[in-house]
Amino acid sequence: MRETLLFLSVALALVGSSCSSRKSQEQQSEYVSIDTVPMMVMQIQKCSRLYTAEYHIHKIVTHDDVLKVKGSLFKQDINVRLPLGQRKVAIPMDATLKAYIDFGQMTEKNIERQGEKITILLPDPKVEMTSSKINQQQIREFVGLVRAGFSDEEMTHYEQQGREAIIRSIPNLGIIEMAKENAARTLIPMIEQLGFKEQDITIAFRKDYGQYDIRRILEIKD
Amino acid sequence: MNRETTSITSTLRWASRALLLLVIVLVAWWLLFSEKDNHVGLQVDDGINLTPEQIQSVKDIGEWEFLSVRDEELVDTVRKGFLSTDQLVRIYYGTLRLGINMHDVEPGWIEASGDTVTLTLPAVRLLDRDFIDEARTKAFYESGKWTGHDREALYRKAHRMMLAHCLTPANLRTAESNADAQFRRMMKGMGFNHVNIRFKPQK
Repeated sequence: MRETLLFLSVALALVGSSCSSRKSQEQQSEYVSIDTVPMMVMQIQKCSRLYTAEYHIHKIVTHDDVLKVKGSLFKQDINVRLPLGQRKVAIPMDATLKAYIDFGQMTEKNIERQGEKITILLPDPKVEMTSSKINQQQIREFVGLVRAGFSDEEMTHYEQQGREAIIRSIPNLGIIEMAKENAARTLIPMIEQLGFKEQDITIAFRKDYGQYDIRRILEIKD
Repeated sequence: MNRETTSITSTLRWASRALLLLVIVLVAWWLLFSEKDNHVGLQVDDGINLTPEQIQSVKDIGEWEFLSVRDEELVDTVRKGFLSTDQLVRIYYGTLRLGINMHDVEPGWIEASGDTVTLTLPAVRLLDRDFIDEARTKAFYESGKWTGHDREALYRKAHRMMLAHCLTPANLRTAESNADAQFRRMMKGMGFNHVNIRFKPQK
């Protein structure tokens, strides 16, 4: 009698768990989206920026995750790799960089007229990452048997590092020079329609000196 | 005689145990308190590898931005199972840029006569539909396993929410008003005292 009861309870438990896993598998294909009250921070800013060059950048962010025992014991450094499995991830991402001229600070002093000749003095172009996109379907993970998969927090941390790496590479891309040429190509036809001849139009660029630049210039002079 | 032998043996046994315990305590005290530099732990390097950035395309554009709307949205999705409920919550960041595309201007959009200039500008619109900086996304909460397909769905949801909250008639009017002010200032700086500005209607 006791054995029969034990057998029945084990069987019931097995049946119940298989039902739950089947149901959860069925319900995995659909999800209920609850639109909770969104926490929203919005910043609206008036500006006047002419974007003249756009670069599309592709990068594959990779990370190798090796578990190590590290430390110091009796003044001996320890750095031992554990044979407990590795984790690797590759995250493809695309970013859009745009170079712009900021007309917000321009005044009449930026426009010099000498008879029929006109010179427009523009600030140096600046570069901004306007958007980025992670190719979620193409992310590849390789996780050892005894390791847990990458969490959402870890993935977003690697993506942020990839974003910073793209930003650091901006000075090597040549986007500033291209932006200057394109700005001239956009503005010169516009000024021609105002009655000026192309040979009388000059578009010049100057650097906006900030505190750091001024300090550097002073150091060089000293 | 036998009783005395047993008593001495028992005493010796207890003494040796006490001595062993004392040695263990002394060694433990030395390990814990005297060698303070001892530290051992599990570590994982959480930096990314150095990989190159590839330029996929370069474009000549002429987008004039007059209003920038920065937004962040908390987006979540819930999956109810038989025994538990899984949830994924993320915070997305994006910047919607409203302005005019200079490639949309029609021939003769500037008419200058004497000190009067008339500008016919294209309608103010969203300059780029890719406005989310997904690499800045913050993971807020996660329970359960989620796939790339789920995250892609969250991204699209954030995109819809930002469009609904930021691409409003009020913001479009503000951008148009700022475009008017900026062009007017520029034309006056070039010596035109009378400036007329018109915008093409929204399509």
